[in-house]
Amino acid sequence: MAARGTNPNFMNGVPELLILRLLQQEEMYGYEIVQAIRDRTDAVIAVGEGVVYPVLHGLERDGALKSRRKTVNGRSRIYYSVTRAGSRRLADLSKDWSNLMGAIQKMLTGGQHAQVIA
Amino acid sequence: MPKSLHELREQLLRAGVAPRHVRRYLAELADHLADLKAEEERSGRSPADAESAAVIRLGNMNDLSRAMTERREFQSWSVRAPWVMFGLAPILFLAIAWCVALLILWSGWQIFLANTDSPFVPVDGFAIFYFGVGRLLYFIAPILVGWGIGLIAARQRLKAIWPTLGLVLIALMGGAARVQASRTAVSGGLGHIRMDFALGPSVQGSLFHALVIFSLAVLPYIIWRFQKVRFFPA
Repeated sequence: MAARGTNPNFMNGVPELLILRLLQQEEMYGYEIVQAIRDRTDAVIAVGEGVVYPVLHGLERDGALKSRRKTVNGRSRIYYSVTRAGSRRLADLSKDWSNLMGAIQKMLTGGQHAQVIA
Repeated sequence: MPKSLHELREQLLRAGVAPRHVRRYLAELADHLADLKAEEERSGRSPADAESAAVIRLGNMNDLSRAMTERREFQSWSVRAPWVMFGLAPILFLAIAWCVALLILWSGWQIFLANTDSPFVPVDGFAIFYFGVGRLLYFIAPILVGWGIGLIAARQRLKAIWPTLGLVLIALMGGAARVQASRTAVSGGLGHIRMDFALGPSVQGSLFHALVIFSLAVLPYIIWRFQKVRFFPA
């Protein structure tokens, strides 16, 4: 039987997943990304605003994102967008997260069932 | 840039984050802070309150610092492999500079002193300038490499141990280096230039030479450390 990877931290990869999902739709700069995450998750997921940049820089370094400097309303900003490798990474992360959610859901449902039997 | 971001910069550099990553991170944080402040002002806060609220929303300095320092890919090479930055790289640069200096010496010998058995004889005219360039490069190379070590150490807020080891190594190499020249036995043959390292014939002379190189090379770094203590006490 093939060994399965452990998942020591359930929040591992979540910031990457959210960022890649957002940037797959359109290019954004850091401030926009944080506001979009807050708005689209009804502020359930609120990341420390400045902490998003190391994640962005790490993804760019891995080749999942690319950046370009753009001047908007007289201000120079760094816009990020997803690369082909980033799209593949997003697909992998989405699949992992869906599996995890399914497993937790199954566990919760199973737990309720066990309680009824007992 | 707000004072808190200046403190963050020092914190990141001392933790070994590469200066280019620090520069970009702080530039984006400063932009983000300006956006947050503008948003807070639009919601009716005074500029001072908006600034405070924006700094809080940006995140506390320890979290912002940890987000960078816990990622090894942002660490500078001086922290990841100090023996390369302060051991191998200076030797490589010194070797390149000395190769160029010896090439100038050898070519000058062939061009201006074709009939002499050694290039170390009095010269005149353009030859003075030609050989002078090579000699200057030969003697100044260890000092320039030392200044490079000091510059890297200062930019990255490094502790003194590795830069000092690098400087001592360069100074000893500079003090022990010897250049010898001889003609081949064949009549009209090409001149042969050789370089070797020895603390002789006068050990004291070699060590004094090394000490002079070390003193000149370390000077900018020492000045930087004194200024840092004076203007940015810990």
